[in-house]
Amino acid sequence: MTGPRWTTGVEAAAIRARYPAAFEGTRERIAAAAIVATMLALAGLAVWRLDVSFARLGTGLVQIAAIVGGMFPPTPGTHLAVFMHALGETLAIAFLGTLTGALIALPLGLLAAKTIVPNVFAHFAVRRVLDTIRGVDVLIWALIFINVVGLGPFAGILAIAASDTGSFGKLFSEAIENADRKPVDGVLSTGGSALHAIRWGLVPQVVPVIASQILYYFESNTRSATIIGIVGAGGIGLHLAEQIRVLEWGQVAFLVLLILVTVAIIDLVSSRLRFAIIGRSTVEVG
Amino acid sequence: MLVVEGLTRRFGTLKAVSDASFVIEPGAFVGVIGPSGAGKSTLLRMINRLVDPSEGVIRFGNENVTALTGRDLRRWRRRAAMIFQQFNLVGRLDVLTNVLMGRVATVPAWRSLTGLWPEDDKVVALSALEQFDIGSLAAKRAEHLSGGQQQRVAIARAMVQEPELILADEPIASLDPRNTRVVMDALLRINRHFGITVLCNLHSLEIARSYCDRLIGMAAGRVVFDGAPVQLTDALARDIYGLDSEQVLDGSARAPEPRVRAGAFGEAAVA
Repeated sequence: MTGPRWTTGVEAAAIRARYPAAFEGTRERIAAAAIVATMLALAGLAVWRLDVSFARLGTGLVQIAAIVGGMFPPTPGTHLAVFMHALGETLAIAFLGTLTGALIALPLGLLAAKTIVPNVFAHFAVRRVLDTIRGVDVLIWALIFINVVGLGPFAGILAIAASDTGSFGKLFSEAIENADRKPVDGVLSTGGSALHAIRWGLVPQVVPVIASQILYYFESNTRSATIIGIVGAGGIGLHLAEQIRVLEWGQVAFLVLLILVTVAIIDLVSSRLRFAIIGRSTVEVG
Repeated sequence: MLVVEGLTRRFGTLKAVSDASFVIEPGAFVGVIGPSGAGKSTLLRMINRLVDPSEGVIRFGNENVTALTGRDLRRWRRRAAMIFQQFNLVGRLDVLTNVLMGRVATVPAWRSLTGLWPEDDKVVALSALEQFDIGSLAAKRAEHLSGGQQQRVAIARAMVQEPELILADEPIASLDPRNTRVVMDALLRINRHFGITVLCNLHSLEIARSYCDRLIGMAAGRVVFDGAPVQLTDALARDIYGLDSEQVLDGSARAPEPRVRAGAFGEAAVA
């Protein structure tokens, strides 16, 4: 050491007297402990009330072993062409559904953004409508649209479009609200109109965010489109449900692997695209 | 005593620091000067070991700093406190907690991770804040403070590390002139009162001359000057700063001459 420790001269009692608040905090700790205890109690109650039985899970394991055994080797059986066609259908449902939802949500998102529509009632109304749409799961939308347009992929497209309209509307409006005000002021300061301000101040900031959200939803909707196929809205899910029903575990395994690989490929491609889009606009020298 | 021998750092093909060698006596206040991109930052970060050297050795006393790993490395970082241009505080945490970060290397892990700081450490942290007249800000969120206040919090954090060496990387580059003085005075006080060695990167030659006992000049990664401030003539400074020299030698007191070519915006502008 080069000099005396500076901390040796510190007068602890005086400091404590000057900053009593810094040495309290027992109340917060008791509150934190109470919250943890409550959570544990609730978890215990739920396990008890919901009849969670580890014994039944144990006997079920034997069944799982049998199913897994039946899955090897995964095989398309004689249905390869049908399966591939259904996979294409699922992808088409996801693509068209996402695109339709995004197109409907774009104007709604503008209306729901506080910074665009200053009228509190208008944007409150739009937001509640979006919340309602979003509150209904895509599976419920599929069941509804099957009754409207009949079984098949068209119902699937409508179901995904409806559910995504709600989600996209909210996400887009938030992206717009989070945009930086300064470029907008910059455009207005040169004598631009409100439309100029949106076109050149807002859109360049918002487009990369929105594009990346749409790509992410396309990927996630490929999975959703599989599920809604099970209730009859077209695509590969129908075949998956069918093969499970007839206990063809080899074909079930093939279908699951097929979906996994497809989603993985979409994930890979879309994350690269998203990175390319976002990277271009938000990387700043800091 | 800090000894640096043949220290080199390459980023790809670029040599950020090239064969730097010097010895720093205990209790010195040394300024590292040079234009942007001269390797000043990389040099300081290597001494704290935030950046690993490509070649060369750093020694402190009998210890080979370049060879340290794990626990020993963390112990070294505690002894060689870092102060950053952008303060590097945790904006969402309160000031007191930010200062207590300077104790994480010495407080038991279960205490520092749960935030159950020993009262003695809180006393030390508050006392450090008081030394820089910001004790009243202890409960505020760091991000709500001004730049000058944040840098003083950062210096308090460095102080509670009870360091033997303070590495200040452009500590005043983000501050206005008044706060520049406050922060540099704080560093000088630490140096004079407690004998803590200070190694400080500075872009401004004027500030470096008025605060430091000794200057190390860097240009393009090399040490090109090492001596007392009086030995640094204008001609030498011009060599170090190259194109920047005019601005640096004039000091910030004099405004730059406006340079407008007549007719640059066409005849209409002149008429």
